[in-house]
Amino acid sequence: MRRNGGYGAVGMAVLALACMPRFRSKGGGEIGERSAVRRVSAADVALPPGYQIEALATGLTFPTGVAFDDRGEAYVVESGYAPGEVFTTPRLLHLREGGRFDVVTEGERNGPWNGVAWADGAFFVSEGGELEGGRILRITRDGETTVLASGMPSQGDHHTDGPAVRDGWVYFGQGTATNSAVVGEDSAAFGWLKRKPAHHDVPCQNVTLSGQNFTTKNPLTPDPDDQATTGAFLPFGTPSQPGQVVRGQVPCSGAVMRVRAAGGPIELVAWGFRNPYGLAFTPDGRLFVTDNGFDERGSRPVFGAADMLWDVKPGQWYGWPDFAEGRPVSMDRYGEGPITQPKMLLASRPGEPPSPLAYLGVHSSSDGLDVSRSAAFGHQGDVFVAQFGDQAPVVGKVTNPVGFKVVRIEPDSGVIADFAVNRGKKNGPASKLGTGGLERPLAVRFDPRGTALYLVDFGVLAMDSSAHPRQGTGVLWRITRKGAAR
Amino acid sequence: MRWLTIGTLLVLGCGTARRSEPLVGPPQLASAEERHGQRVFMQLCNQCHPGGDAGLAPPLNNKPAPAGVIKLQVRKGLGRMPAFPESQLDGRSLDDLVSYVLRLRHTGR
Repeated sequence: MRRNGGYGAVGMAVLALACMPRFRSKGGGEIGERSAVRRVSAADVALPPGYQIEALATGLTFPTGVAFDDRGEAYVVESGYAPGEVFTTPRLLHLREGGRFDVVTEGERNGPWNGVAWADGAFFVSEGGELEGGRILRITRDGETTVLASGMPSQGDHHTDGPAVRDGWVYFGQGTATNSAVVGEDSAAFGWLKRKPAHHDVPCQNVTLSGQNFTTKNPLTPDPDDQATTGAFLPFGTPSQPGQVVRGQVPCSGAVMRVRAAGGPIELVAWGFRNPYGLAFTPDGRLFVTDNGFDERGSRPVFGAADMLWDVKPGQWYGWPDFAEGRPVSMDRYGEGPITQPKMLLASRPGEPPSPLAYLGVHSSSDGLDVSRSAAFGHQGDVFVAQFGDQAPVVGKVTNPVGFKVVRIEPDSGVIADFAVNRGKKNGPASKLGTGGLERPLAVRFDPRGTALYLVDFGVLAMDSSAHPRQGTGVLWRITRKGAAR
Repeated sequence: MRWLTIGTLLVLGCGTARRSEPLVGPPQLASAEERHGQRVFMQLCNQCHPGGDAGLAPPLNNKPAPAGVIKLQVRKGLGRMPAFPESQLDGRSLDDLVSYVLRLRHTGR
C-alpha cells in the first residue's frame, strides 16, 4: 500500500507539473502574425447530430447583428468600429442570393453599430457611439434614418448594445465606461481617455461612495513621474470622499433602458450591469440579457468573474460595481491577496443583487442571444448564446482559449452545453487552430419561422497588448436541422 | 515499473480535455445525484473550467485525480482556485459534484 501510494503521489506530482499551465497567457486571439486571409469551411464546425451549418456570406467587415424583415429576408449590420480603435463605415446590408449584399444605408463615424432588430415596419439599430455618444436609430427599408434616442454615455470601454423590441418599446443595453467604475491607465490604453478626459461612469440613481481612491501614473501629462488619484464614478484625477453622493441620471452606465419605437424620453428598466450586450425576449415576455463580467485589469482588477445570463426584472439593481454574479467582489475569490483585493466602492448598496440564470466562462465575452421557439429546430425555450471569445491578455490571462463558439443554456436549470464548436483537440478560433471554422461568434438570431439559427461571426481579432481586428474576415453562417424545409 | 506507471499516467492525464457535446455527445447522467452535481458544477465550476475543459483555469477532464483528491482541492482550494467551505457547498452537494465530474471525465471515452 505504501509503495503504491508512493507511486500515486509521484505520479500526481509529475502530472501536475507536466500539465500545469505556464504563466504565459494562452488566449484565443494570441495568434501572432498569421495570414490575414480567412479560410471558411463548414466541415470544420461540429454540431450535435442532426444539425448542419453553412456559410451564407463571407468578406464582411466587423459584422455584429442580423435581422429579418416582414418578408423574411435577412439583413446584416457592420459595426463601423472595432477594438483597437479601428474606424470604418457602419452599414446596414441586405443579403441577396449567392452571398451578395446591397447597402441599405451607411452610418456616421460613431460606431460600433452593435445590433439590429426589425419591428413595426422598420429596423432598429443600437449605435454604439464611441465618438459622439450612443444613439438608437430607426431605419426604414429604403434607408431613411431617424434618431430615436441619443446622449448615451458610450465614449469609454463599452457602448450602446441590443436592441430588442416588444410592445412598441425599443429596449437596449448600455455598457459601462470602465471595467469597475474607476477611470485609469487602461482607459488610456484603450484609446479614449485622451480623447474624452472627463468621461466616467454615470449611475442611474444617486449613489453614496465609500471613498475608495486609486493612485496611478498620469497618462494625460508628459511627465512619466506624474501621478493621479481617482475615485469611483468620477473623472480621471478626481478623488472621492467617504459619504460623497454622486447624482444619478438617465441615460446612465451599465443599464438596460428603453424608448418608444416612435421616439420619446428614455426610461430606465434595470441597472447595475457591466456590459449588457445581448437582449432577447422569450415568447411569454421574459427579458433575457447577457452581461460581460469584470476583467482583471485597470485600477481595480477583479479576478475570475463570470459572464452572466440574467432574467431582467424592472427596477432591479444587478450589482455592478460591487458584486460579480450576485456575490460581493470583496470575497477572496475575486482578488489576489489583501493588497489587490477589491473593496466596496459604495457605502450602501442600492439593492440586493440576484443570482444569474447561468454562469458563463470567465472572459468568454458571451454576447448575442436568442431563444428557440420552434419544435422543428428543437430545444424550445433554450437560450442560444454567441461567445465572441477571450481578449487575453488585455482582459487577464487564461490557460486556454475561452469562448469562440455557440452555447445552449437551459434557463430553468442553468445548465450550459456547447452547440457549435470548432473541431479539434483544443478549443479556440479558427485562426489559432489553423482551420476554416468559427472565428468570433458575436450574434445569433432565429429566422421568423424559428427553423434556422443565423450566426454572425465578427471575423479575426488578434490580440497582444492591444487588439488588431482584420477587415473583410466576417462571416454569416446558418444552422438548420438536416432535412428541414427552407 | 514506476516509470511505466508514471508514463501511463502522463499519457492519460495529458490527453484532450474536450467533452464538448457536438464532439462526444452529452454526458449520460445516470442518477438524480449526478444531475444535481451538474447543476452545482454549473454554478461553481463551469465559469473557470468550461465543460471541464481549460479556460481561465486548467482542465479537469484529463486529470486522473481520484474522488478524494478532488474533494480535498474543492474544500481547500489551490493556487488561485478558491476554497469552497461547508458554508458554500454542503457535503451532499460536494459528493454529487464529484460524481458529475467523474461522469463528465469519462464521457465519450
